[in-house]
Amino acid sequence: MDISPAPRPVLELRDIVKTYGGVHALDTVSFTLLPGEVHCLAGENGSGKSTLIKIISGVETPDSGVIVVGGERHASMTPASAIAAGVQVIYQDFSLFPNLSVAENIAMPRQRAVGGRFYSARAARPIAQGIVDELGLALDLDADVAALSVADKQLTAICRALVSDAQIIIMDEPTTALTGAEVTALFALVRRLQSRGVSLIFVSHKLDEVLRVSQRLTVLRNGTWVATGAAGDYDRDAIAGLMTGKDIDTSRVVSAVPADAAIALEVKGLGRPGAFADVDLVVRCGEIVGLTGLLGSGRGEIAEAIFGVRPATTGTIAVGGHPVRIQSIPDAVAAGIGYVPEDRLTQGLFLDDSIADNVVAASVTAFAGRARLLDRARMLAFIQSVASRLRIKAPNLSLAVRSLSGGNAQRVVLAKWLMTNPKVLLLNGPTVGVDVGSKSEILEILRTQASAGMGVVVISDDIPELYSACHRVLIVQGGRIVCELAGDAVRVETIEQRIAA
Amino acid sequence: MSTPALRQRRSGLLSRWPGRNNEGYLAALLLLVVAVMSAAAPAFFSLHTFFSVIRGATVPWIFAMGVLLVLVSGGIDVSFPAIAVFSAYSAVALTTARGVDAGLLGNFALAMAIGCLLGLVNGILIARFRLPTLIVTLGTAGFFRGAMITFVGATYIAQLPRSLAEQSTRSVISVNTEAGTTFLHVLVVPVLILTVLIALGLKHTMFGRAAYAIGGDPEAARRVGIPVQRTQVVLYVLVGALAAFGGMVFMIQGQAADPQMLIGIELDTIAAVVLGGASIFGGRGSVLGTVLGVLLVQVINNSLVLVGVPTAWQRATVGLLLLLGVGAQAWAGRRPRRAAPAAVKAPAVKAAA
Amino acid sequence: MTRTRLAKPAALLAVGSIALTAGCGSTAGTTSTSASAAAKPVDAKSMTMVTVVKLTGVGWFDRMNQGIKAFGQRTGVDARMDGADTASPEKQIAIIQNLIAQKPTAITVVPNSPAATESVLKSAREQGIVVVTHEAPGMTNVDADLEAFDNADYGAAIMDAMASCMGKSGKYVQFVGALTAETHLAWVKGAYEKGKSAYPGMTRISDPIESKEDENTAYARAKELLTRDPEIKGFQGSAATDVAGIARAVQETGRAADTCVIGTSIPSIAGKYLTDKSIDQIFFWDPAAAGEAQLALALKIAKGEKITEGTDLGVDGYHKLKKSPTMANVWLGDAQVSVDASTASKYPF
Repeated sequence: MDISPAPRPVLELRDIVKTYGGVHALDTVSFTLLPGEVHCLAGENGSGKSTLIKIISGVETPDSGVIVVGGERHASMTPASAIAAGVQVIYQDFSLFPNLSVAENIAMPRQRAVGGRFYSARAARPIAQGIVDELGLALDLDADVAALSVADKQLTAICRALVSDAQIIIMDEPTTALTGAEVTALFALVRRLQSRGVSLIFVSHKLDEVLRVSQRLTVLRNGTWVATGAAGDYDRDAIAGLMTGKDIDTSRVVSAVPADAAIALEVKGLGRPGAFADVDLVVRCGEIVGLTGLLGSGRGEIAEAIFGVRPATTGTIAVGGHPVRIQSIPDAVAAGIGYVPEDRLTQGLFLDDSIADNVVAASVTAFAGRARLLDRARMLAFIQSVASRLRIKAPNLSLAVRSLSGGNAQRVVLAKWLMTNPKVLLLNGPTVGVDVGSKSEILEILRTQASAGMGVVVISDDIPELYSACHRVLIVQGGRIVCELAGDAVRVETIEQRIAA
Repeated sequence: MSTPALRQRRSGLLSRWPGRNNEGYLAALLLLVVAVMSAAAPAFFSLHTFFSVIRGATVPWIFAMGVLLVLVSGGIDVSFPAIAVFSAYSAVALTTARGVDAGLLGNFALAMAIGCLLGLVNGILIARFRLPTLIVTLGTAGFFRGAMITFVGATYIAQLPRSLAEQSTRSVISVNTEAGTTFLHVLVVPVLILTVLIALGLKHTMFGRAAYAIGGDPEAARRVGIPVQRTQVVLYVLVGALAAFGGMVFMIQGQAADPQMLIGIELDTIAAVVLGGASIFGGRGSVLGTVLGVLLVQVINNSLVLVGVPTAWQRATVGLLLLLGVGAQAWAGRRPRRAAPAAVKAPAVKAAA
Repeated sequence: MTRTRLAKPAALLAVGSIALTAGCGSTAGTTSTSASAAAKPVDAKSMTMVTVVKLTGVGWFDRMNQGIKAFGQRTGVDARMDGADTASPEKQIAIIQNLIAQKPTAITVVPNSPAATESVLKSAREQGIVVVTHEAPGMTNVDADLEAFDNADYGAAIMDAMASCMGKSGKYVQFVGALTAETHLAWVKGAYEKGKSAYPGMTRISDPIESKEDENTAYARAKELLTRDPEIKGFQGSAATDVAGIARAVQETGRAADTCVIGTSIPSIAGKYLTDKSIDQIFFWDPAAAGEAQLALALKIAKGEKITEGTDLGVDGYHKLKKSPTMANVWLGDAQVSVDASTASKYPF
């Protein structure tokens, strides 16, 4: 895109300062958004990205600084004035109403905003249909949002933003929960939005993805501005370096696993009609095995079957050499299997409960003392140790998990399962929505756990991640394991080719 | 309307069975119970029974409307019986103590004004201070009852003001049958009007949709600019007014103002509304479902004597049927949601250019 | 049985007389002549007696106060009534506590919560104060408890009235406030037994029906019963609002003239239905007489007289006390009152 030297910015933040209890969340940060551009806002957890977004959307008030939207200067915004100025945020949780239909989710806020006292489902439908058609989407307008896939929820949120005359759309980690195909589709949509003159701010950790659509990039670190420039001038490692202030290692690090190492998990002939069939799988102690494939290939279903979420109908599972019968999640937990689910926000955590409660949720019975009462002291000490081992960054462990960033929340899920001391740990998209620094830390934790004798299975779309950490990578297609890569055969290009094959 | 449109509409109706909140199942269950009761006791299947069921359902019906509003917005209210008693009893006690009769409208207006005030107390505590609705209303329920006994009185008023007393036996339809005259009570009319208003309000006003939105996700509601606090306050004021209305109807039906009336009705009412498909977690529920739920409970309640269920078993039977009904609701409600993630879905973007 | 709902006359009646089967610890002093009482002055004119009721300002206890005043005038005892504005056990106990300091000759109590009141009554007796209770049989720390009547006899009396109204034949139904209200069950049992033995022409068509102490429920149940069995000729109510609800149902079906509605209630609740004859007769006991009799019993004890089977308290309904067959210090009167349309106005409460 041709960026002429002086297009008038649609949004400009000048010298924004925001402190929480004396700590600078943002320290004289400036930011400009040009018309029709996609601007990537990058930074680690706690770098101030979220605070910056909250200030733009009027949820937070800056201590000092100026916000210029559409040529008007504001000392601060309110949610209503931000919406009126055409600013729409698509939150990570999408902020949709799960109990209402897609059509109503899209059209109702606009009908409200234009000052209507009445709501007409009949009038809402063409509005929703219009935007859905315009964007070339296939959303079922009558479906409850609760029943939608994550990708469709996101599309609904985007439609809602557009219907509400958004000039500026801020997307908070939009690719977090999407598969590769969905990301491609989203980016196609983003280009269409751009051609409508909408400016977008992408907040993301998945740098290589975001760089595909961004024209410019701003990096924050510890509440301060670090760099702004054309996206093409940076590569992945350079940005990671800017974000963390140190070099990030994305190379392949796998420990040696002896060929005769004990078998942690052995699955034979596992099948469930309509989902997967004839799945054989061996994970040795100390080994990290990757499981990948396109969405709908059945990779997630296999993991869920092993964990008893939706049990398999045929086949056998053995843990540590002992056959186990897994018909339910408690069966799996009892057998020593841990599972970090895909959508950590809804499946793995009690968002409104404290970090400590979440960490201990799966293992609380282990801390029953005499008379079945909880041995609180021992439990808290243990939680503390796990939390510090996993470097969960939170002022204190009694905070609600909802207040944590993606990476930290994921570590809470991980901590929860490590507390149970599983023999086998299955992780579905373990670094989804996690920034680069945290990602390499999480992979490091997995390596440590594996070398301590755990068998680890990582289900992931993130091929560099599989390459970086897995001893072997299994590729699932149409519910069957079609290919196994081991040793030197584990290469990013090879995996990509095999998945697409 | 043209023929193709009609056809489409019909197939639409069919495809919408059993309704967003499984109203269809509930209606079927209601018919089944009526059929079973009629088979067990032929006397049951009569206009007379229909009228008495309606009459008995009137007060729970009004309360259920209030409970529905609260449940939809994600709350639980257990203070409405206390508000009902406080408002209705106070209105009558205050006017009779002064020897005046405020008239039918005057008495209702006074009671509902008091109800609004008490509802406002709930609303402010819940919305402004973001306190849990169950705890707030548990607290205010006790407070309202205590305050009434202390400041208004605790005497049984056997003689209602004339304007109210004469409503007690006024009918819309009255039919002579061999078992005596049976009639449909006049108070059914305002209740039906209220019901239609609430149904329209929930479905076709921003306020109603905001209530659903808040019940679905209050934070998301705030983010799209819905005035969450104001909506909640107005909601609880409305519920207060409805409770007061229900209290007045109860008094008129009973032809007396008893300060100890309506104790323990809150859980039965909530159960009926949940039976009607409203979610206890908020965001779901319909007026139609609620009405069906109330009628089902009332039919069961009003027919056990008729079919000869021993008194000692009646409570157990009602409880059991409620469990069955709510269980069926939960089961029916879970199925489609379970089926959804199992189907492999392609992203909804058609042409990914 | 809810003792917290005593503001309601229905509940007052419900606990008014008790099931004689209630368990009771053995109490010393059946003779009631305690040493402390004996040491008291025997001159009535120098005595002070206070009756502490559940709450003041309601018709029932206003009426009781009349009896207390009458007792004072008749005997010269300085007698008065005291009570809180709500039926709160705590407030009542505080009032008794304050009274102990004033050292009256006797305290008579209609307790809100018998169990909670035990200890304060214990300290009253330790101070040499005579303690008499009403509507609270089975308490330990009292000199005597006075009940208006024997529950079984009361039920039988209601049955006699039903029989004469129904011409000793036909179907009848009994209502109770709650299936757990022992008093109500004792009444309907007494009536049923009497019916079985004395009036073979009368048949009870069902186990007792529960009204949940709610007039509208009583109404709804009565309507269903009349639908199921239009030949019902008699209804017996137990909670004070039962007969009112039943009367409305009977009225609406146009059968007021052919149906007998009889039971426990009080004139202020049943009055208008008595007037239009949809209720035929109601039974209760007069709180004025009960108030006067409690004090008369306390006076006898204070004077050191022995209370025995047949003692006469000089109050109508309490001329010939009966000893409770199951509880040691409980005395029963024969004080039930029944009124119809013409006599209801004599009892303005």
